[in-house]
Amino acid sequence: MIERYLTGVRLDEPGLEDPSGTRERLRDLFPRGATRRMTQLGLLIGGVLHDLAPAEADTLVYASSFAENQALEDYLASFPNPSPTLFQTSIHPSAVQQVLIARQQAVREFFPLTGRRQLIAHGLLTALMGSGLRALFCGGEERGQWLHEHQMGSDESFAFAIALSRESAGAIGRLRLEQTGAGDGQLTLREFFGVLRDRRPLRQLAAPGIELELSWL
Amino acid sequence: MSSSANHSSVRLEAAACRTALGDAPATRAALAAGQRALALLPVLGAEGGGLAPLATWNRRSFDETTPPSWLPCVDALAAEIPAGTWGDARHPVYLTSSNFGVGSQYAFQRTRDPRHLAYGTPFAVAELLRQRFGWGENVAVLSHACVSAQLGLLLAARTLEQGWAEQALIFSFDFISPFVAGGFHALKILNTEMPAPYAVRATGSIGLGDGAAFAVLSAGRGGLRLSAPTLHNEMHHFTANRPDGAGFAACLAPVAAAAGGRRVWVKGHGTGTLEAGKLEAEAVAALFPGSPLVSWKGSIGHTLGSCGLVELAVAVAAMAAGPVPGTVGTVPPCFTPAVATEPFAHAGYDGVVLASNAFGGAHAACLLTHD
Repeated sequence: MIERYLTGVRLDEPGLEDPSGTRERLRDLFPRGATRRMTQLGLLIGGVLHDLAPAEADTLVYASSFAENQALEDYLASFPNPSPTLFQTSIHPSAVQQVLIARQQAVREFFPLTGRRQLIAHGLLTALMGSGLRALFCGGEERGQWLHEHQMGSDESFAFAIALSRESAGAIGRLRLEQTGAGDGQLTLREFFGVLRDRRPLRQLAAPGIELELSWL
Repeated sequence: MSSSANHSSVRLEAAACRTALGDAPATRAALAAGQRALALLPVLGAEGGGLAPLATWNRRSFDETTPPSWLPCVDALAAEIPAGTWGDARHPVYLTSSNFGVGSQYAFQRTRDPRHLAYGTPFAVAELLRQRFGWGENVAVLSHACVSAQLGLLLAARTLEQGWAEQALIFSFDFISPFVAGGFHALKILNTEMPAPYAVRATGSIGLGDGAAFAVLSAGRGGLRLSAPTLHNEMHHFTANRPDGAGFAACLAPVAAAAGGRRVWVKGHGTGTLEAGKLEAEAVAALFPGSPLVSWKGSIGHTLGSCGLVELAVAVAAMAAGPVPGTVGTVPPCFTPAVATEPFAHAGYDGVVLASNAFGGAHAACLLTHD
């Protein structure tokens, strides 16, 4: 069993807001000029991480099923003369890298995960096993266009970040992972976002043999 | 974050790979003979594009098919995985790749053939492989560009050390596609020059190769000890390192401490780019004085997210049968005298340091020793 205290939750659920609207809304959270080439997902992740302030000693875990939908679409559209900028922006961990490169903030441990049904269980397990005193677990999606129409992209944009500490000071909740004998389980990124948004307590199998319990203080 | 060589209980039970040169023993032998798998091919496959050094498994065309033309490669590799209840709660799988099915995404966008859709997302590919290989659903999927495989190793080791698993399987793959080759070509580091890692020359260049590999880790079994898995992420620039080399030192220093006084050789990342190659060679010379430094990407190409595991399997083959291949494609002068351009005997060495780097100034390394 591993247990950590939840010391911070940040959420952003912009619905159908387009990338330029997100850029305008969040621009003051980034260094001047940095948002020009950032993706919507990068902006959203930067927004929810902003006042949790990732530090070098934190374990940082990022989860997304589809990641950089819009950069992928634009990069694919750039062939047969592929865009080098869109190529590097389209990689899975790009959202977090855009944010931390803009802030020149090194981190020792950074784990970008993908997947779907067990993504939350594996992301949280990675965070809770981290070596740092604090772990930050963030995730989200950005809305795709043709990728979404063909089930290769997200139909909505959202982002979350939570801070997990070994210390109880300032705790607003408690999160526990425990191995159980058996049983299937799943918990998607979107479902976990809903739990955080609604401040719901949770106790369920989030992956085979892995029970997640979240309680609010 | 890292564990000392003396205290790590994590053992490597098995490792295997596929490259353009074959399985791990065949790849080691071909590398030791100085064979180069890379050949100049058009980066956009059938659609042409500029020529660049590329190396595909079994001379596979990288114009994506349905099912993907790389599936027989991972099938052949998976057949070598030791029997087990992989993917249950006590035997997790760490599936890692930089690109998963982007070749299918590219093919769909070009052809609109809906059959490609089934392979176009990481979770679709993960589910395909899970069902194909009979794994349970405890499959963690990681994608951190060219350190993806090393992340899987670290997490598997951590899961074992914290008592959450008895054995762990790490499975990693990346296959060339026009999506990827076109991207690196656009960045101009994939050009018509063959890579010469760590060589002092006017122009840097890399090659890309197909790669797939697996490793089985356990607590207390197997002949080689895996220790000090270490990470560092500079977050300085997407495609450049800090010019002072601090990122390389930050990652390699804990591994050097864990190695203690042991005699090790270093399998570096060494893609063939000039700046990163120089920084890496200098960091290795400072932290592992007297240790030979090799890279094999001048022959098999950079196998991207799988490179950490592919090169681990080749290193294990070299530790078992020797000699250790030198840096194929490179002739002196090199950035440091420690760069080994010719094969050398493993006898007399206690182990190997395995290092990988990625976009964003990501670094990963670990130590593999006999005891």
